[in-house]
Amino acid sequence: MNTSLKRVSEFLTNYAIYVVLVVLIIGISVSAPSFLSLSTLTNILHQNATKAIIALGAAFVLITGGVDLSAGRVVGLSAVISASMVQVSDYPRKFFPDLDQLPVVVPVLLAVFAGILVGLINGLIISKLHVPPFITTLGTMVIVLGVNSLYFDMPPNSSQPIGGLRNDFTKWGSGTIDIGPFSLPYLVIIAIIVAVICWVIFNKTRLGKNMYAIGGNVQAAHVSGINVGRNLLWIYSIAGALYGLAGVLEAAKSGGASTGYGNMYELDAIAACVVGGVSTTGGIGTVPGIMAGVMIFGIINYGLTFIGVGPYFQLIIKGAIIVVAVAFDIRKYLAKK
Amino acid sequence: MKKKVVPLLVATVLLATVAAGCGKNNDNTGGSGGDSNIGVAIYKFDDTFMTGVRNAIKDAATGKATVDIVDSQNSQPTQNDKVDLFISKKYDAIAINPVDRTAAGVIIDKAKKAKIPVVFFNREPLAEDMEKWDKVYYVGAKAEESGTMEGQLLVDYWKAHPEMDKNKDGVLQYIMLKGEPGHQDAELRTQYSVKAIEDAGIKVEKLAEDTAMWDRVKAQDKMATFLSAHGDKIEAVIANNDDMALGAIEALKAAGYFKDNKFLPVVGVDATAPALQALTDGTLLGTVLNDAKNQGAATLNLAAALAKGNTPNKGNSGYDITDGKFVWVPYKKITKDNMNDAK
Repeated sequence: MNTSLKRVSEFLTNYAIYVVLVVLIIGISVSAPSFLSLSTLTNILHQNATKAIIALGAAFVLITGGVDLSAGRVVGLSAVISASMVQVSDYPRKFFPDLDQLPVVVPVLLAVFAGILVGLINGLIISKLHVPPFITTLGTMVIVLGVNSLYFDMPPNSSQPIGGLRNDFTKWGSGTIDIGPFSLPYLVIIAIIVAVICWVIFNKTRLGKNMYAIGGNVQAAHVSGINVGRNLLWIYSIAGALYGLAGVLEAAKSGGASTGYGNMYELDAIAACVVGGVSTTGGIGTVPGIMAGVMIFGIINYGLTFIGVGPYFQLIIKGAIIVVAVAFDIRKYLAKK
Repeated sequence: MKKKVVPLLVATVLLATVAAGCGKNNDNTGGSGGDSNIGVAIYKFDDTFMTGVRNAIKDAATGKATVDIVDSQNSQPTQNDKVDLFISKKYDAIAINPVDRTAAGVIIDKAKKAKIPVVFFNREPLAEDMEKWDKVYYVGAKAEESGTMEGQLLVDYWKAHPEMDKNKDGVLQYIMLKGEPGHQDAELRTQYSVKAIEDAGIKVEKLAEDTAMWDRVKAQDKMATFLSAHGDKIEAVIANNDDMALGAIEALKAAGYFKDNKFLPVVGVDATAPALQALTDGTLLGTVLNDAKNQGAATLNLAAALAKGNTPNKGNSGYDITDGKFVWVPYKKITKDNMNDAK
């Protein structure tokens, strides 16, 4: 009797967040049965593909025991950079009026490169100047917004939202592969490929092992011969590349861009990571866990909007889930010790 | 040695940035040639609409006055500091786009003490603050008018296209995409767009209303959700701004709208460049122009007249002055037919 009770409580502790999720899905489905449909699944996947990529980037940094506040603004920067170079030739208000039609890959690479550059700068400041990651990325966050705003304000654009993007660019954000009745968005395929690559880096490479070691105990990692600085440079650059890619995809998905893109996405990404079991003190976190965290928020966002819960209540529910999930998660590790 | 290098490096970088920033600032002083100086504080530089007003002020200043335009960074304390700076520079007039409209009283007190006339624009101070001094003016649009016109766009379409009432129940089923909750424009546009439709004698039913924070991507995601929740029941989409209207259009496109004669009327506000393109493409039904050019020009003309010690009137400002201190710049309905007015 006692042991079975204990088992139930242990199960609830270990899988609390999944229990919450199942209860939510049941609740939403009861109040709106049409929620359980193929289009719901496609929509949720499509809406969260870019968020998954950003969360993976944020996870790299979180696992080393750092935090990256610049994520959202890098998304905005790369969205604006890529969009500014892929406008249709007859658009009346082009960002670069004299620019020829570039192959799509050029603006995409430039935008991703901008993300890598910001990541590299973050890494350099943290490893060479020993500024804590929170402060470093707080600084680069506002610098990136400043740089992006200057670029966006250049005449003839003068801070107008960028529109009129070419179809061969936007198809990456809105196109699908139809498999029977199910249409799989390209975005989701890209996110899955990114997740697989991240899984390989996390689990099969020296960089991955070093990342966990640095997050677990940075002194021990240093003493055991890991070049912490160089590894951090790689980690922050990879994270920057992922934010850059996500920004390009956000522009492609929505068919436009402005400096407001990506605002506060870093907090969504960190929330998804911690709900998915990434430790904010570093050293712990898995790719499937992060994906689960992203999907939990995705389903909550979609489901609450679907049944028409007011925006203020949505905020309260989301905040509560973050705190409750992490509270349970921490108990799990305390119990193990 | 090494310890000294880093601060030196940091200092150099900072100096370079400040120098570059100062150089850049000169872009925001314009219209030299006039003999009076006007200080202008914008609530936030990276606001699309206010950028239009800012450019219009710069253009209108040519030959009339020298303007010094500063960014209040969406912070009222910062703006108050900028006003103090204008006063210590002894400018002849100041034009303020308040961050918080209830804080205008403090600025009026400062200006009155220094005897520098003030023109507020785009965000209207409280009525009792406007009464504090006779050299306080306001230039702006009546926010509710943008909502009313948005509703009228749908009324016009409803009357001309009976097929818009898909289920033939005589009721207009709509989706509302709101801006930031509590924002004056968001609340007024939401309220008055629906009121305009009801005033035209058309019954409405709200299928869903949610905030997309003025944001294109968020609006796209919300619209995809509403489409799968309500599908063909939706007869119109009302968005508080164009960015959200365009996001909704992206979601509608993905659901097969705007081809093979499948159409859904979507309306927005702002008449941005991408919105005008959408009018050309036939995806956006209509938008409402908040007339940045005339708001900027009226603000500058009033401030320039005040700077010379004149009382503004239609003769020296080019705009009708209502109740001795207000210039109301009207909104304009923009559809495919008259979109050149907005370019």
